[in-house]
Amino acid sequence: MPPLIADYNYWIYILLMMIGLYAMLAKNNLVKKVIGMSIFQTAIIVFYVSTGAKHKASIPIIAHGHGHDVVETAIDFTHYANPLPHVLMLTAIVVSVGTLGVALAICLGIYKRYNSLEEDEIQEQLQ
Amino acid sequence: MIWQLDICILTLIVICAFATIMVKDLLSAAIIFGAYSFLMCLLWTEMGSVDVAFTEASVGAGVSTVLFFAAVYQTTRRVGSRKSGRKLSKLVALMATLLTGLVLVIAEADFPGFADPFSPASLHVSPYYITQTLHDTNVPNIVTSVLADYRGYDTMFETAVIFTAGLAVIAILRSYTGVDRRKLPRRYIITEGYPDTIIRFIARQLVPFIQLFALYVVAHGHHSPGGGFQGGVILGASFILLAISYDFNIVKGIMSEKMNVLLGNIGVLVYAGIGFACLLLGANFLDYSILSQILPATDKVMARSHGMLGIETGVAIAVMAIIVSIYLNIVSLGKYDKGL
Repeated sequence: MPPLIADYNYWIYILLMMIGLYAMLAKNNLVKKVIGMSIFQTAIIVFYVSTGAKHKASIPIIAHGHGHDVVETAIDFTHYANPLPHVLMLTAIVVSVGTLGVALAICLGIYKRYNSLEEDEIQEQLQ
Repeated sequence: MIWQLDICILTLIVICAFATIMVKDLLSAAIIFGAYSFLMCLLWTEMGSVDVAFTEASVGAGVSTVLFFAAVYQTTRRVGSRKSGRKLSKLVALMATLLTGLVLVIAEADFPGFADPFSPASLHVSPYYITQTLHDTNVPNIVTSVLADYRGYDTMFETAVIFTAGLAVIAILRSYTGVDRRKLPRRYIITEGYPDTIIRFIARQLVPFIQLFALYVVAHGHHSPGGGFQGGVILGASFILLAISYDFNIVKGIMSEKMNVLLGNIGVLVYAGIGFACLLLGANFLDYSILSQILPATDKVMARSHGMLGIETGVAIAVMAIIVSIYLNIVSLGKYDKGL
C-alpha cells in the first residue's frame, strides 16, 4: 500500500477526534456533549493503541510462559505488540467511566434545577 | 493484523460516531454509542491489545451504556431546543474543528509508520518489559506485569482517581431530603423491578456465575487477558444487573452507600498498604520482591507475582464498589429510592 493509505489508523483517529470536538463545541444538548467527550477519549485511545501495534506481532502474552514447560529460548520483542500503550489505555478506559459518571451527575443536577438539558434554554433561565 | 478487516471496522466506527451525535433521541444515541464501543472492542482485539478490548467490552459497551440509560431515565429523551438559531456558533465550532483537524493532519506527517516494529515508541522501555517479564516476575501476561509491577505508581493513582470520581458523584447528587426512613420497604422483600418472571429468574440465576467469572478474571489475569480493573467492572455489572432486572432494594441493602465508600477505601488502602509493607521491610515503595521475607515458600520472583495478585484484588474491590455507587446514585437521582 502507498504510505499515505497505510497509515489509515492515524487518519481515522483524526476524524474521530474532529467528530468528538465538534460535538463538544456545537451540540446544544448536554448529554450529546458528554457523548462527544467520550468519542474524543476513544479517539485518543485509538491513537495510543496504534502506536503500540506491530506488523505480524502477537498479543502481549508470552507463549508457553507458564507451567512446567517454560521455554528458555530468547524472546524477540518484535514478536509481541508493545504492552506499554495498552497498560496506559486500559486504565484510561476505566477512568473514563468515572469521569462519565461525574459528567452525567452534573447533567442530572442541572436538569433537576433548570428542568432542561438544552444549553440555550438554561442560559435563558440564567439571565 | 488484516488491513481489510481493519478498514471495515473503522468504517463502521466512523458511521456509528456520526450517527450517535446526529440522532435526535438520547436513548437511540446511547444505544448507538454502545454499538460504537463494541466495534472499538473488535478493533482493539484486531490490533492485538486484548486487555484493552476486554476493558472496553465491560466498561464501554456495558457499564457506560447503562449509565447513559440511567441518566436519560431521570431526565428526558428530547434533543433539540424549542428555539431555533445558533447558526453562527455552529459555524464557528465547525471552523475550529476543521482547524484542529488540519493541525493534526500536518502533525501526522512526522509520525512513524503505522505498525512499524522499530518505531521510537516500541524501542524505549518496552523491549525490556517484553523480554524480561518472565525472568523478573514469572508473569507471562506482559500487560499485567507492567500495570501492577513495573509501573505500579501509575495504577495506584488511577485507582485513587476512580475512588475520587465515586466520591464526586455522591457529593453532587446525593440528597437526604424527602426520604422517610420508616416508609422505605424492608430488605429482602421483593417490592419492584421488572414484573417479568422469566427475566427475573434468569437474572437471579446468572448473577453467581457472573461473579465467579469476575473472580476468575481477577485471579487469572497473570496468564490471560484480564486483571483487577476488568474483574472489578464485571463484579459491579453483576450488581447492576440485579438492580435493573431483579430488585433495586436488595442491591441497595447489600451494597449500601456506607458499604460502597468503605469498600472503595479498602481497595485503595490494600494497594497502598502493600506498597507500605514493602517500604517497612526495607525495600522501595511497591517493590514486591522483598515480600518473600514474610510470604511462606516464595522466592523473590514469585513474591512479585503474589504482590501483583494482592494489588489487583485491591483494584477490583475499589472499582466494583465505585461502579455500583455511581450507578445507584445516577439512577435514583441521589435518593436511593427506586431504580430503572
